[in-house]
Amino acid sequence: MAREIILENREAFVRKLRELVDGGVPAEKIHAQFPYPVHEVEEILGRRPGPVRYFTLIGAVTGFVAGFGLTIYTVLSWPMITGGKPLVSIPPFLLIAYILTILFGSLASFAGFFFLSILPKIGRLFTPLTEQANRFIITVEEEKR
Amino acid sequence: MNPSIPPEQIEQDVLAAMKKPGLLYWLALLFCGTVFIAGMVCWGYQLKTGLGVAGISHPVAWGIYITNFVFWVGIAHSGTLISAVLFLLRARFRTSFNRAAEAMTVFALMVAGLFPLIHLGRTWVFYYLIPYPNQRQIWVNFRSPLIWDVFAISTYLTVSLVFFYVGMIPDFAVVRRYAKGIRKKIYQVLSLGWEGRLGEWRNYNQLYLFLAAFATPLVASVHSIVSWDFAMSILPGWHTTIFAPYFVAGAILSGTAMVITLVVPLRKTLSLQRYITDDHFEAIAKILLFTSLIVSYAYIVEPALAAYGKNPFEIEEFRYRAFGDYGTLFWIMIFCNSILPLALFVKRLRRNIHFLFVLSLFVNIGMWLERFVIIVTSLARDYNPYAWGTYHPSIIEIGITLGGFGLFFSAYLVFLKTLPVLSITEIKERSDGTGNHS
Repeated sequence: MAREIILENREAFVRKLRELVDGGVPAEKIHAQFPYPVHEVEEILGRRPGPVRYFTLIGAVTGFVAGFGLTIYTVLSWPMITGGKPLVSIPPFLLIAYILTILFGSLASFAGFFFLSILPKIGRLFTPLTEQANRFIITVEEEKR
Repeated sequence: MNPSIPPEQIEQDVLAAMKKPGLLYWLALLFCGTVFIAGMVCWGYQLKTGLGVAGISHPVAWGIYITNFVFWVGIAHSGTLISAVLFLLRARFRTSFNRAAEAMTVFALMVAGLFPLIHLGRTWVFYYLIPYPNQRQIWVNFRSPLIWDVFAISTYLTVSLVFFYVGMIPDFAVVRRYAKGIRKKIYQVLSLGWEGRLGEWRNYNQLYLFLAAFATPLVASVHSIVSWDFAMSILPGWHTTIFAPYFVAGAILSGTAMVITLVVPLRKTLSLQRYITDDHFEAIAKILLFTSLIVSYAYIVEPALAAYGKNPFEIEEFRYRAFGDYGTLFWIMIFCNSILPLALFVKRLRRNIHFLFVLSLFVNIGMWLERFVIIVTSLARDYNPYAWGTYHPSIIEIGITLGGFGLFFSAYLVFLKTLPVLSITEIKERSDGTGNHS
């Protein structure tokens, strides 16, 4: 069972949301759809930041390790001195690690976003459940009576 | 700007740009496409005949192919500056430019990526640059700046593409409502079934913030790495520590100029004056002025260091740069990059769109010449007088260079008709009076 409230603008949306929460509706029972980011929403519902950041962290650390891993492994697998530099030269290898940190971190965040938001919505791609247009929709789950 | 434009109005205004193109558009596309194809024919000829058809030879082995490479990578930078750095700084005028600038970044990097391959001569062995286990049983040399380039540019292109696409997902959900037929299907797929739900937005905002945070260090690092292609060598005029910041400032200067070059006609032809206001152009003009001052400072520091350092080769190099075979180009560069932008100290000129457009063309020329002057003069006159020489680009090189511009502008024209040119979502957010991006 769900109750749907449709609002035409941002002010009304924020007001209604605040009203619902103040009225004792638990935050996890409130769902919403809105056409552009409304920063008050997080504040009102009091949710902690989502888990995309863990994907970012794991991706970035993997990238950093992979950067040093690749460079050190390859240079030791065929030890050839060039330019009189030590085989394992940290400064240039750090550059590769730095770049791969950024690359893996971004791609992991991107993948995390897809995974967590359940996108793409394969079954509903051509037939969206609701085309919210520019309306703000609040859906409140209600207990079965 | 009118703070409260109804959201439907915003959608219609921005999407009006994607309507059926007129004759002028087709002519422009035909022209750019022809130039591009002519460039590709030149490249084909070079591939078939050999690199000898290019003017590069001993001692100047890096000519306008590398100039183009550095130029286009530089152009890409201000796109990232506008989309990522200004996002983190919460600069609201960013919304007017970010989509156009991000598209510019992606296309400029595609063009930039072509030039090292063209410069290789034997383009078909480009995969030697990629580290993978192979029958030759050797790996790439990670101590070489050229390999850093491969990593830096390909990462930059990937991250820019992801950033560009992610920014458009909510907009695709808008476009799909208006589009019809096969176009509707395409935008539906591109929008991934976005419905603007609470959970989607939360993850989206976080992702966008992280991507901006990852792209920001790239603004500083990519052109630094490009500059080390030069600075890691021992040639007089190249081997200096100032190169990385100098190149990054130059990149942002040229890229900002290119944003102005692209957005001024875009605003006029698509009647977007309501969204891209003179105030926004003034803000961009200030970035241009600021980076121009940094670049001018570098122009002063370089010869000053040479004079102070008492190294005869370095002194001779800077004398040659200003008064030698390429002296004219050097002074045109100084005029375009350092002297002309000083006019932007005058507020009236900062707000004069026609002046800004003309200025941006001059800066584009000046920045292209800067790269040419840096690359060619150092190679033309190094330590040993016996090895001195000059360089003139051949017809083939000029053809390929123009082809690069043709590709860039063709891609840009296609972008104008296929993707929303402004971020609809962010403009809605901005026009409701709060405009907080987080």
